[in-house]
Amino acid sequence: MGALLQVRDLSTSFYTQDGVVKAVERVSYEVANGETIALVGESGCGKTVSALSIMRLIAEPPGKIVSGQVVFDGTDLLKLSKADMHKVRGARIAMIFQEPMTSLNPVLTIGRQITEALEIHRGMKQSDALDEAVRLLELVGIPQARRRAKDLPHHFSGGMRQRVMIAIAISCQPKLILADEPTTALDVTIQAQLLEMLHNLTKDLDAAIVLITHNLGIVARYASRVYVMYAGRIVEHGPALAVYHDPKHPYTEGLLRSVPRLDEPRSVRLAPIEGQPPDLIALKSGCAFYPRCSQAESQCGEESLDLVEVAPGHYTSCRSVLKGERR
Amino acid sequence: MSVIAETVRPHHTLWGDAFTRLKRNRVALAGGIIILLVALGAIIVPFVSPYKFDQQDLNVVLHSPSHGHLMGTDGLGRDVFTRLFYGARTSLMVGVFAQVICLLIGLPIGAFSAYASQRVDNLIMRFVDVVFAFPDLLLIILIRAILGGSIYMIFLAIGLVSWVNIARLVRGQILSLKQRDFATAARAMGGSSTYITLRHLLPNSLGPVIVYVTFGIPRAIFAEAALSYIGIGIKPPTPSWGTMIANGYENIFAAPYLVLIPAVAVGVLMLAFTFLGDGLRDALDPRLRR
Repeated sequence: MGALLQVRDLSTSFYTQDGVVKAVERVSYEVANGETIALVGESGCGKTVSALSIMRLIAEPPGKIVSGQVVFDGTDLLKLSKADMHKVRGARIAMIFQEPMTSLNPVLTIGRQITEALEIHRGMKQSDALDEAVRLLELVGIPQARRRAKDLPHHFSGGMRQRVMIAIAISCQPKLILADEPTTALDVTIQAQLLEMLHNLTKDLDAAIVLITHNLGIVARYASRVYVMYAGRIVEHGPALAVYHDPKHPYTEGLLRSVPRLDEPRSVRLAPIEGQPPDLIALKSGCAFYPRCSQAESQCGEESLDLVEVAPGHYTSCRSVLKGERR
Repeated sequence: MSVIAETVRPHHTLWGDAFTRLKRNRVALAGGIIILLVALGAIIVPFVSPYKFDQQDLNVVLHSPSHGHLMGTDGLGRDVFTRLFYGARTSLMVGVFAQVICLLIGLPIGAFSAYASQRVDNLIMRFVDVVFAFPDLLLIILIRAILGGSIYMIFLAIGLVSWVNIARLVRGQILSLKQRDFATAARAMGGSSTYITLRHLLPNSLGPVIVYVTFGIPRAIFAEAALSYIGIGIKPPTPSWGTMIANGYENIFAAPYLVLIPAVAVGVLMLAFTFLGDGLRDALDPRLRR
């Protein structure tokens, strides 16, 4: 099974006045055809930047993709010309953004914003594109689609706008959808509806999804594999169930412990991870999680480990876990 | 479902919304009505006035306002009322066409500057600074000397000195809009920079531009009046409010209304445009959308 998308050793930095922010550092991951993977981690850990890097949407300056490869369908996207990249964006890789309230152009009608991708990438005529846009709007569950296509974004609620964003994303039948916290701005019931819909629609299209989220509940339901990011690096990855039931990194354990569970008595207190995420400018040479880690050894502060396979398909970068496994 | 389908909400367009809000603002509405009345008067004056604007009658020199001459006559016995509305033609034309020229120059330059690389942007903006720093009056006199004295050249002269503000405004708008999420989303959709600048960013920047143009019209009207007053504006006998004030000044003690009437006209029209501009600014501001 050849991978649809292979991200290899991707590093993206931002050159700011205060110094170089290594937002994404030697990150690698793979997505197979039609697969859903999840990128998990707290705010500022580099999830979004890694997705924007794949799309080459990092603002330059101050950002820069320092090194790495993004091999999509056999071609390295980082080597494509600008014009070739325009043909990939929206057509073969689509992106859904976190903020539905601001991600639509306030002065263009909803219909127009769906048809433009169809006209650009599929060369449709305006009237055909409008028919297709109406069909897409119906597909994402917007009633009276033909009438609503003439409305402007501010006539829609947040959940409806995110439906529109999904309609735009699937309009050109992409092979890969980067969903950057697609439901974070919405309330819980709508989140579930939208994710279920996105899941079913992409199944029909046989599209793969990179689901970026900090909601571990979502991950368990939809993703086959999970990549856990911390301070710009991937610290653990493996099959979703394995990561859930047998996390191999103290950070993942901490994340799981800080999520409320329905099957535990309410008297059980949540255990937050102590401390703050590190400053990405002044990153020390050792493991980035070292200052907050309960299982840390002195060696952890000096040298970080590369990812090592501890169980079939399950990788970790934690020294103490590795020792425990070998014992 | 059928109940939902039957509740049809009124359909609002972007400009329709703005117009509704504008109508609610009485002061702006008054401004708009004054402008329309002046424009109407300027259009129909040759059909309703018994006098021509350059028709001299030396028997009625400097007559005060009366039945025959509603606003009196000037030093050459011409009817002030007729000349005032012919002058309104000049003023409105200068106001509107000077701004059209401003837009035609400023909009593309501003948009291109925001779209271009940083070096080109810098170059254009420094050129804009130079034009901005150059004394307006001097530049206008220079342009008039080179291009000659027809009324169209006045539009051009005023337009050529005041496009820089629109260029700056448009550039600033587009640069800030570029950072917005929908611009990133449009890029993720596969739009090229040119496409996004023209289809997404420029239309979003038009609100403030329209407001600026509305404020620019009274400035252009005033500029024309000032130019005509010092004698490098409209050529006589075509009436302009500036020349009327200048000519009236010679007889200010005998017939003060000759200065007063066109001066009040300039003031009222400028005020009307300013009120309308204020109302437009409120109406087009999406943050005030209710």
